[in-house]
Amino acid sequence: MLAVLGLMTVFSAHADWGRQLLWMVLGAGAYAAASAFDYRRLRSAAPGLYAGMILLLLAVHLVGHSALGARRWLSFAGFPLEPSELSKLLLVVVLAAFLSRREGVSWRSFGLTLLLVAPPAGLILTQPDLGTTIVFVAVLFGMLFLAGARAWQLFSLVFAAGVALPLLPHLLHGYQRKRLEIFLDPTQDPLGAGYNLLQARIAVGAGGLFGQGWLHGLQGQLGFVPERATDFVFAIFAEEFGLLGSLVLLAVFGLLLIRLLRAAAVAPDRFGELLAGGVFVMILAQVVENVGMNIGLLPIAGIPLPLISYGGSATITTLAALGVVQSVALRRREIALGDGALGTITRRAQA
Amino acid sequence: MRLVAAALLAVLVIGGLAAKLAELQITDGATLAGMARANTVRRVVIEADRGIIYDRHGVPLVANNPVWGLEVVPAGMPLDARARATELAELARITGQHEERVAIALAAADPYSSVSLAAGLSEAQELAINERLPQLPGVSIVQRAVRTYVDPLVFGHVLGYVGPLNETDVKRLGSLGYQPGEVVGKVGVEAGLETLLRGRNGWADVEVDARGDVVRTIATQPPVPGDSVYLSLDASLQRATAQSLAAGLVRDGKTAGASVVLDPRTGEVLALVSLPGYDTNLFTHGISQADYSALINNPDRPLLNRAIAGQYAPGSTFKMVTATAGLQEGKITAATLLSCPPYLNVNGWIYHNWASYSLGQMNVAKALATSCDTFFYQVAAMVGDVTLAKYARAFGFGQAKTIEMPGVMPGLVPDRIWKQLECGVPDLNSDACRWNTGDTITFGIGQSYLLTTPLNQAVYVAALANGGQVMRPTLVDEVRDASGHEVQTLHPEVTGTVPASAANLMAVREGMREEINRPYNMNYWFRAAGVPADGGGKTGTAQYGGSGLDLPTHAWFVFFAPYVQPEVAMSIFVEKGELSEVEAAPIGVQVMKFYHDHVTAIRAT
Repeated sequence: MLAVLGLMTVFSAHADWGRQLLWMVLGAGAYAAASAFDYRRLRSAAPGLYAGMILLLLAVHLVGHSALGARRWLSFAGFPLEPSELSKLLLVVVLAAFLSRREGVSWRSFGLTLLLVAPPAGLILTQPDLGTTIVFVAVLFGMLFLAGARAWQLFSLVFAAGVALPLLPHLLHGYQRKRLEIFLDPTQDPLGAGYNLLQARIAVGAGGLFGQGWLHGLQGQLGFVPERATDFVFAIFAEEFGLLGSLVLLAVFGLLLIRLLRAAAVAPDRFGELLAGGVFVMILAQVVENVGMNIGLLPIAGIPLPLISYGGSATITTLAALGVVQSVALRRREIALGDGALGTITRRAQA
Repeated sequence: MRLVAAALLAVLVIGGLAAKLAELQITDGATLAGMARANTVRRVVIEADRGIIYDRHGVPLVANNPVWGLEVVPAGMPLDARARATELAELARITGQHEERVAIALAAADPYSSVSLAAGLSEAQELAINERLPQLPGVSIVQRAVRTYVDPLVFGHVLGYVGPLNETDVKRLGSLGYQPGEVVGKVGVEAGLETLLRGRNGWADVEVDARGDVVRTIATQPPVPGDSVYLSLDASLQRATAQSLAAGLVRDGKTAGASVVLDPRTGEVLALVSLPGYDTNLFTHGISQADYSALINNPDRPLLNRAIAGQYAPGSTFKMVTATAGLQEGKITAATLLSCPPYLNVNGWIYHNWASYSLGQMNVAKALATSCDTFFYQVAAMVGDVTLAKYARAFGFGQAKTIEMPGVMPGLVPDRIWKQLECGVPDLNSDACRWNTGDTITFGIGQSYLLTTPLNQAVYVAALANGGQVMRPTLVDEVRDASGHEVQTLHPEVTGTVPASAANLMAVREGMREEINRPYNMNYWFRAAGVPADGGGKTGTAQYGGSGLDLPTHAWFVFFAPYVQPEVAMSIFVEKGELSEVEAAPIGVQVMKFYHDHVTAIRAT
């Protein structure tokens, strides 16, 4: 259902919807393959996947293609591949594998987790790809939480982020810093850096309760909303389908997320639970950031809206991730108190 | 437990998003939807065609010629910095401007409005740019109407010119809904009849995309073209007047002059010439700094419309006022004989006649015909300065005429208070400030502090000709709106009546008739030109620049014709003219010659 809505919106946004359909089909294949595949075998493959992820990201830096001032793409058999998209899923798998080795999170494994995440996060941040980095941090935080990290550990992470934040402007590229400033006051440069944000907000607002109708959004159809098929696809959607349509979209995402959590709850083992939880965090983070920036709640960072935005790597990755979770869910055990995943969690919480 | 927390978090966060979304779409929805429409629907002003100005016979004196200009909508240019820079360089090359200046012009402008980068493109340029337009996003070629004046050296001072609205105009015209950069009449009839000629701009609400390209038109309000103005001017008489004046100036080595020809019955201006003229088309096509400096620094001051704004002493042409005053106040009669000595001694001061010998006893008509100064010194002394000033004002001296163009000057009728205020000495009762008999008697021959303009002179002669009615001079015969309906017609307006009996005015006119019929001098020109000397005229060689004997002079000739039921009255002015009979009068005769032939030809058809 999400995929259909996405396709309609992408069509409306004048993107190559045929191609998007192709990617959806490929993604569906990936979904089917991943759900058929026993997720437990991923666990042993994790070190290899991690190495592969680092290699891909390195390759982007060395031989990647640039667009809009960032080097993000690899040509793969004629198809552009955006490894940072793929790396989101790989990170979930790797972290799930690492954190599921034992109950809880010791200070030692907490530190090791951070060391594990740092290299790929650094590589992505320097592409530069702020959006994916944010997703990485969210996934790291969320999975540590789900893995039972202690409050102190999470707090120290927040604290570290708090310390890093003032440094961020120095680390950011000019345009990224500008985006942050613009977020604080978009009207300071309504036709330059603040343009995206303002136009997107206007488009969302113009949708009203019922929307302008599919293919009838003024802002979107006439090209005022930038990046209309990818980062700002939600603005197009909101303008054309209005508040009701947007709420339905959000509800569908909510259902999807709850289902992901249910999969985590019924997972036969800790690895599966963390896998499903990780995918949950990954999708939640992307939905929140994307919708948030479209309606002016969060600063702009290039993040696709899962399954709605135009883009091959993201679509296939998301569907593959859902497939992996489906694989977990298919191998669930009967839920019984004191036994199985939910029981373990309950016990842990009591401890 | 943690999964439940995560689920709660997800629900909370998505709920938060939904709440914000609702606020945006419902609470602010209307405002933002308006912004979306404003974003995409743009009101484009459709300029109204400016009204055409014709002469009294329907000869167009100005045209709205299409001219191509290059405009850029900055928001329509490529967003990519490099592509933008390339286009900027290309634009600079095409328009022959510095790249920096183009960049500044574009950066300073409203990104969604058109910025004019070049006006008046040549056809070759237009074609060249047109070919490359697909590679120049945001750039368009627009057609604009540019005022082009027929024969600007002849009609320029009457028509004036238009130019882009500036701050002075905004103050002058107030909030009449002018757009920045809109063309507005600056001087002449173009300025005087601005409200009629302008028309009303229309608009079109067009939907545009982010590049500024028009997608479709939603609504339009067609412009209302400006009214057509039919001037009272006779184009061919105007030409003949300008040519006669120019020829006269050249013959006598003079550089500046003016002439106004009126219909004394209605006040219609048939010709109004000021020389030197200038090319008003330079202004409408964007005058260069060099051309403008040349005009400003020209010692002959071509931009000065001498016909309405040049103020000079009337000299002997004023003697009809003195004569009228003397007759009407009962100081003299038409038969009263006074002497015409070579000079008059007033309180030890010597006031000369132009002749160094006595011209004998004469009545007022002969005094006018011979232009005897000493005769009029005596009359002026009898009448007194206060009464003389009253008659001068009654003839329209010292009065800025209401005519359909700005910049009309009043001239000056001096009196005792004026002299005291203007004498420039702190003690207002000193001799320098007090009016003296000398002031009065020189006032009587149009000197003293008296000033007039060629327009005022023509109105004055017209009043003499028509029996004492001071007409409001007008340049407009008829105004028609775009569909041809008359919106304004000629209403001759009498602004004042000279307090003089018909008999007294007749006695004065008789003097003017004799002047042009003297067997020598003046009459020669009429005979030479083959024009019947039917009418009345008066020459004047007016001193200026202080008092004394050998002062520089201006030459005047005023004339009306025919003698019975006059239909034309004129003033001829030659700046720095030395002998009015020789320099100014023949010009008037030439104008009359044309008028005579022209009217005969028109009446024949």
